[in-house]
Amino acid sequence: MTVPTDAGAAGAAGPSGAAGTADADRYPDVGASDGPLLVVEDLRTAFRTTRGTVRAVDGVSLSVDRGRTLGVVGESGSGKTVLSRSIMGLLPASDVVRGGSARFDGEDLVTATPDRLRRIWGAQISMIFQDPMTALNPVTRIGRQITESLRLHLDMDRSTARDAAVELLRSVGIPSPEQRLRSYPFQLSGGMRQRVMIAIALACAPRLMLADEPTTGLDVTVQAQILDLLADLQQERHMAVILVTHDLGVVAGRADEIAVMYAGKIVERAPTRSLFAETRMPYTRALMQSIPRLSDPPGTRLEAIPGRPPQLIDRPPGCAFAPRCPYAQDRCRTEEPPLRSTTSPDHVFACWYPLVDGRPTGLPGPAAAPTSIPTSAPVAPPVATPVAAPVAAPTTGETPR
Amino acid sequence: MTITAPDGDGPLLRVDDLVVEFTAGRSTVQAVSGVSLEIRAGETLGLVGESGCGKSTLGRAIVQVQPPTSGSVTLDGVDLTTLSDRELRRFRTRIQMIFQDPISSLNPRRRVRDIVAEPLVIWGRGTPDERKAKVREMLVAVGIDPDAAGDRHPQEFSGGQCQRISIARALMSEPALLICDEPVSALDVSVQAQILNLLADLRQTYGLTMLFIAHDLAVVKNVSDRVAVMYLGKLAEVATSEALYRSPAHPYTEALLRSIPQPDPDSGTGHQVLTGELPSPIDPPSGCRFRTRCPYATDRCAAEEPPLAEVSPGHLVACHYPLGGGTVPAPVPVPVPVPEVYPG
Repeated sequence: MTVPTDAGAAGAAGPSGAAGTADADRYPDVGASDGPLLVVEDLRTAFRTTRGTVRAVDGVSLSVDRGRTLGVVGESGSGKTVLSRSIMGLLPASDVVRGGSARFDGEDLVTATPDRLRRIWGAQISMIFQDPMTALNPVTRIGRQITESLRLHLDMDRSTARDAAVELLRSVGIPSPEQRLRSYPFQLSGGMRQRVMIAIALACAPRLMLADEPTTGLDVTVQAQILDLLADLQQERHMAVILVTHDLGVVAGRADEIAVMYAGKIVERAPTRSLFAETRMPYTRALMQSIPRLSDPPGTRLEAIPGRPPQLIDRPPGCAFAPRCPYAQDRCRTEEPPLRSTTSPDHVFACWYPLVDGRPTGLPGPAAAPTSIPTSAPVAPPVATPVAAPVAAPTTGETPR
Repeated sequence: MTITAPDGDGPLLRVDDLVVEFTAGRSTVQAVSGVSLEIRAGETLGLVGESGCGKSTLGRAIVQVQPPTSGSVTLDGVDLTTLSDRELRRFRTRIQMIFQDPISSLNPRRRVRDIVAEPLVIWGRGTPDERKAKVREMLVAVGIDPDAAGDRHPQEFSGGQCQRISIARALMSEPALLICDEPVSALDVSVQAQILNLLADLRQTYGLTMLFIAHDLAVVKNVSDRVAVMYLGKLAEVATSEALYRSPAHPYTEALLRSIPQPDPDSGTGHQVLTGELPSPIDPPSGCRFRTRCPYATDRCAAEEPPLAEVSPGHLVACHYPLGGGTVPAPVPVPVPVPEVYPG
């Protein structure tokens, strides 16, 4: 089912968005006012450790519109999980330095009190995790785990909550939900557990769902089922989703926009089609090319990325990808490229010598220059002044200590 | 029936009607139910299937780590199932295995050079100097700097590097057959590509014969000459990787191919094709084991088990109504192709 068009029309007519349709009552965001639901600006999260300060998220800016899907892609250690936890406010109480803002519907989650966050978690923003076995309470029946948030946030009595839980389990495709309410997590398969996690996350009709590697560890067939389920529920409820994954394949067919993370920063962000068709950042391209494709003949040599991601303690100056980048120049090792855009303001990237048609542009030196001049797409002149990108992180003097 | 390698000399490994059973409480689980296959020298056979289909058990049963209930495993003409423990131990140096979790498969308290040297130390092969030289050679071959890494412990290395060390150790005894059980599924895509390329290089250099077990058909296609698709303890389809991708004959293979999300917004793959999950092997469905999830299943599929039969040279499928021609992935998740032959 899709969002009724009349609800959208009503929302456009009245700025309050209090449309009178049944769906708008159930899912208040249907037909709500425009503007992004979540705006993250210069978000920073650093952990103080005995070995030094780990800047896990280092000035990330992004936004998600209502009902849309943002894919966040990165290797392990790129900071993608810390990013989603920072948006949620699920961070350890001590030895964490936070900066920047994450405004959810205008309200900053970074400075919100724990009390306020507890009201938001589950009710407004919910999260599903990679490993449903450890995210579910092993000694509590799943019925109880679903009704918990219904009773807390929506003040439901026992039997109403139970009925709602049955309905939720049914909506995530769990057979004989009445009986399943009495199951413990270990009695369910991995795919079923993830469905239960989704049911819990959906219980209070959140407006934003953070899905952190929701299908990693599941079989491809089950992965496809879970992702399709998420997409259906998202459309039905007009929910925004941030889909965090290491697998570009997972977000390619599903996200509206993709942000690629490397070493705690976003290095390229673009509408999905644009990211794949006009990849600018060599890291994004390398990530795409290291994936074996079904369409390639057997034995096709993969373009592996040499080396590995940098340590996030005492990161060297310049571009964090420079040590592994085939096109790195002196400038890349000394000066950090800001996020900027050239042809399209929606497509931002952090590279001094962005790729055009798979080749770097603006490389210094007479040998490199002629071959790298693109023939088709117009490109900005050799990167002297970064075009002010809408999300370019302002360099604040605020440094975690 | 036996699957014969397309051409060349006789097979290096021959698995005949292998059955592996476990007891679970009072019931018996047949994890591998009569699998037969062959791998010829220098070939890489991929083995794919969902978790729980028995692919890892099959790999372990070939090495006799998990003793098979019945059937035979013949390597170079020697039936491993008939060997005494002592003979088997000696013979096992010819088959080596690498595992999914590289970090836990290395002893955390030993140094890298000792871990890699161990296969030779156990068998007393070579002098200490020769062993040292061989360790060096192997570490270099897998891309680990022996001087910097030799005295360190596994936990000082990343997952990808630990997998390289595992591979070096596995190759020390110059095995005839290398069994790789999900060797890259715990690794990041960028590291995964490094390890896959390394295996391809080593295969070239040392003429390795490999059984490559994985759940990712795209990875398997990349490394394998032929691919066997396993479902609930049985082989569903065996073909060259190209044929398997171009014209899958088993509906399960087709579903697997369409489920794999590809890094291309227009591929149309990665969507739900199969409903439900793998049935319990304790009580497998009658007839064709895939019929409970198969969009084309008929009464015949419930009554009669389809044998693994050849649809074209070297292409075997266990299905009453094998799919004919056509390419996957089609953009529509709903299966439309009509089986080649229908009853009546």
